[in-house]
Amino acid sequence: MLLQMKNISKLYKNGVLANDSVSFDLNEGEILAIVGENGAGKTTIMKILYGLEHPTGGEIFINGKTCAFKNPQDAMAHGIGMVQQNFMLLPTFSIAENVVFGSEPRCFRLFFDRKKAVKEVIELGERYGLKADPNLLIKNCAVGLQQRCEILKVLYQNANIIIFDEPSAVLTPQEVDGLLNTIRSLAKMGKSIILITHKLNEVMAVADRCVVMRGGRLIDTVKTSDTYIQELSAKMVGRKLIDKSIPEVEKGAVVLSVEHLSQKGKDGIQALRDCSINVHAREIVGIAGVSGNGQTELLHAITGLSKDISGGKITLDGQNLIGLTVRQIREAGCAYVPEDRNTMGAALQSNLTETTLMARQYETEYSKNGVINYMKANQQFDALLNRYDVKYSSLNQRAGELSGGNLQKLIVAREISRNAKLLIVAEPTRGVDIGAMEFIHNQIIEQRSAGAAILLISSDLNEILKLSDRIYVMYEGVINGELLRAKANSEDIGILMTGGELRDNAS
Amino acid sequence: METNFIFAVLNSAIRSTTPIMMAALGSSICNRAGVFNVALEGQMLIGSFTAIAVNWFTHSIFLSVICGILSGGVVASLVALLQVKYKAADMVIGTSINLLVGAFTAIMLYVLFGVKGSFKNPALLTLPKISLPVISSIPYISTLLRNFTILDYLSYVVAVIMFIYLFHTVHGYHLISVGVKSEAAESMGISSLSYRMGAVIVSGLLCGFGGVALSMGQVTLFTENMTAGRGFIGMAACNLGRNNPVMIIVASLFFGFCDAFATVAQNRIPSQITMSVPYIATVVALIVFHGERAKKVKAA
Amino acid sequence: MTMRHKISSLLKRLCQILWQPLIAVILGFLLGSVVIMISGESPSHVYTQMFQKSFFSFYYLLQTLTRAVPITICSMGIIVAWRAGYINLGVEGQMIVGGLVSTVIAIHTSAPAFLVLILAIAGGMAAGALYALFAAFIYQKCNVSIVISTLMMNYIANYIASYFVTFPLKDPKSGIAVQSVEIPVDVRIPRVFEGHTFNWGFFITILIVAAVYFVIGKTIFGYESKMTGLNPVFANYGGVKKNNVMMSAMAFSGALAACAGMLEIFGVKYRYIDAMFISTSYAWTGLMSGLISSLHPVGAFAASIFLSGLQVGGQAIQRTTNIPLQVSTLIQSTITLFVSVKLFTDFKHRKKQKVEAGDIINGN
Repeated sequence: MLLQMKNISKLYKNGVLANDSVSFDLNEGEILAIVGENGAGKTTIMKILYGLEHPTGGEIFINGKTCAFKNPQDAMAHGIGMVQQNFMLLPTFSIAENVVFGSEPRCFRLFFDRKKAVKEVIELGERYGLKADPNLLIKNCAVGLQQRCEILKVLYQNANIIIFDEPSAVLTPQEVDGLLNTIRSLAKMGKSIILITHKLNEVMAVADRCVVMRGGRLIDTVKTSDTYIQELSAKMVGRKLIDKSIPEVEKGAVVLSVEHLSQKGKDGIQALRDCSINVHAREIVGIAGVSGNGQTELLHAITGLSKDISGGKITLDGQNLIGLTVRQIREAGCAYVPEDRNTMGAALQSNLTETTLMARQYETEYSKNGVINYMKANQQFDALLNRYDVKYSSLNQRAGELSGGNLQKLIVAREISRNAKLLIVAEPTRGVDIGAMEFIHNQIIEQRSAGAAILLISSDLNEILKLSDRIYVMYEGVINGELLRAKANSEDIGILMTGGELRDNAS
Repeated sequence: METNFIFAVLNSAIRSTTPIMMAALGSSICNRAGVFNVALEGQMLIGSFTAIAVNWFTHSIFLSVICGILSGGVVASLVALLQVKYKAADMVIGTSINLLVGAFTAIMLYVLFGVKGSFKNPALLTLPKISLPVISSIPYISTLLRNFTILDYLSYVVAVIMFIYLFHTVHGYHLISVGVKSEAAESMGISSLSYRMGAVIVSGLLCGFGGVALSMGQVTLFTENMTAGRGFIGMAACNLGRNNPVMIIVASLFFGFCDAFATVAQNRIPSQITMSVPYIATVVALIVFHGERAKKVKAA
Repeated sequence: MTMRHKISSLLKRLCQILWQPLIAVILGFLLGSVVIMISGESPSHVYTQMFQKSFFSFYYLLQTLTRAVPITICSMGIIVAWRAGYINLGVEGQMIVGGLVSTVIAIHTSAPAFLVLILAIAGGMAAGALYALFAAFIYQKCNVSIVISTLMMNYIANYIASYFVTFPLKDPKSGIAVQSVEIPVDVRIPRVFEGHTFNWGFFITILIVAAVYFVIGKTIFGYESKMTGLNPVFANYGGVKKNNVMMSAMAFSGALAACAGMLEIFGVKYRYIDAMFISTSYAWTGLMSGLISSLHPVGAFAASIFLSGLQVGGQAIQRTTNIPLQVSTLIQSTITLFVSVKLFTDFKHRKKQKVEAGDIINGN
């Protein structure tokens, strides 16, 4: 037994018990998957193993010896490496320079022997079957190649235990296959792998054993050969998804129409290729897909945040949107809950009134002749925020002081209360507690009954399945399939998300 | 216009370049580490003053130069502490320190020498001008290279050393990594805080050097606020030179040339206009040679 | 909330806001004491004189308030631009340009006084605004840093104005003094008291401060520029046009700077004198008062009066003691330095926040 985590607990100062006495072990050459939903505690326990966090209880044993890691360098010295979701790569430097970063080969002690670095990276690549051109600059590499560089970096540090944190989240489906092959061959060469993921098909494809976590606790440890996906997902979720069937509503006329939209992304790769969707009034249309397949570009094209569209048409109630400014598009009847509330949804240093006022400062309700009526705004926002169950102490509070869930509710309140014809919600419940999640979902459903056309983009498939009347699946910049609520299920969507085709019925 | 005159102007340009180039190098090392240091002007001015003061009291050229350089480092330490370590807003710290040093040196000018405005005295030792053995007999080249002090020559050596440091050593690689993506650096155990503070202090030493060149290079005197915006011209040169020491040499020479031109043309064109030439040249050069949007540096 | 509750919470907030500046002021004066002692004088003697000759005598109080006029309006100019995230360091240059242009218009336009005044003000403000807009324009088109360009433009403005006032615009009757002709009597801002330069410009200043306070706090422009300064991505998402905000903020800033210059010329000096704004460093003092008050207009007004008093007092003691007047600059810049460093209260708070270069609005 190479690694043993025994009764690991992590209690944060704010009272959250992220890990509750979790124990598991890892053998040499084994691939262990750790699965669980958001907030199950899997990232926390890996942070503990990698020295980014310290446990409040329990012990770690490596080869039978107790270890306590003060920081990642400590963990690395013990042969533990981690490929994180956010790559720690330097974009303006080459693959070779990045792989050896921190342990550079030197000449005369002071100088960076770059030639030797290139040689070593080539050698490393050949040894592990991870070919990569050592002279390519990271910023010119596709995401899959960048991840390969991270893996090489970890191998360069002589890691024996390699942790992958949600590695396929940023990859295209072909790149995911490459990754799984890499993981298999690394294990065959004697490395031990821990794979953190919520993608059960990957677990079944590659892992030897699987640890299921839920609510900070270890639920079960099974051999993947002894189980199947539905069993694992049931353990992950803990209960049958109570599908509160949302009321059937007759959909109205087409509100948003996107036809054959194409857009060149960075590095010349097409971000959107002939993408076409439409959304009717009184309808919730969900877009499913692995993030990075063009969803963000599609949203930014519709809302006017990005300008370089190379072809196609976008109309809102017949009015062309391409070429209009962000403000004009909003005034045409578009509201948008952005995917990142902290960078785009709010200015954390401003107060709640100012945050809620954004994009409404020209409405005659709140301003006249360029002067803002803050008293009225405060009155109205007070009522609005209370209606949306936002917990705050004063409107003068800074937006950054609200909890994630409350800030998200504020943003949802702000955008929904515009009663726009088209409501776009991206990742509406990311990082939000269960209570707030339910509330936001109900608000979205209400807006639908009130006649809005709603476009929902989410990486949470359950959310999409729960709310959508129709589901589009995006893959590599194009719509790969369309499913109606009645026929939608996660297996089919999963197939479409990974570039496949449905065999029995055409979309 | 005779050829020798042209070389004389070039000579004057090269001599004017030294302070600007040192400020530009100081700016570049801060930028590379991800620190926006606006206090270059103050770091330079204190060097100018300290050199003259130490010159007066110790009659030692060597000590004057060393103390001038170190004084720049001392002021930079204040910046390092307040701006990098305690994360105060960069514009505020930089501007306040520039104003503070301006006031401080003017006061000390009065306190130590009893004069206001400017201090000049034959008893002050001047930096020896270097004349190279063989070269000084070649007709035009001798004009080009005459009257350089050791500081002028050293400044190019410093630029080359910085180039080698940044692009060929491991330490320099780590410094650049801190500026490019500090979380990546931290993840490998590299302390962005140490590198940033170090970069700021080095920029202080470099600006101090530039300040010494200013007050003891071509002339030996101190005037209140004698840096006259050179710290910022240095920032512009650094900008033009894309934070690359070798390109900074070229960019700095350009500004030095504008400075020299201003002095030369004073006979034909009113001095008020010629004195504005370096500043106009800075703005024009930045417009003409604009590059892609440079990443805004933050010490986050 | 009851009235008493409101007052006590207001007082509490005032204490929180003023605590840090107070410490900074004390530190500034301490440093000043050190310098004073080195010069061989006694700090208490010097400080008493300084305060007597700045605030505690009618004559000097008027002097302080007169000097506070250009300082305050310069700080208003800085506040308007910095709040939107644009570091305008060129207030001095914009002041020179606006002041010179308005003087020229006042001297050379023959029309009823009222009309001349309006033209001069409009022309001056337009000149200042355009000068600032140039920097904004080259930033938008060519990524030229506003910090560097505005700073360079200060020197350019000063030298070009100096040229004009040395040659074409020089007053032939002034002998060696490098200055323009005086502006006509009926265009000048009237004095309030006999024998003192204190003029109605001070009350105009109060109006300007109120106007800026109103614009920043209550208008759409103020809202949009604040949001742009705090989070440009958020502002863009909300439909705020970044370029419009930048142009308006810089133009407004330049126009205010021009007003500062105009009030000084039309109210005190009645002519453009070479380097009149450089030697007095109104713009840099205005910058300091803006920074001390964390870019709040009313706070900046108070800080400007305070700094003006320090300078007036400093000038006064220069005549009677050995202390050079830069002592007051020393004290002022030390205060500015320490106000910006939130050493204790926000220390832990800051460790979790990222500090943006444009984010000067903090802690209040």
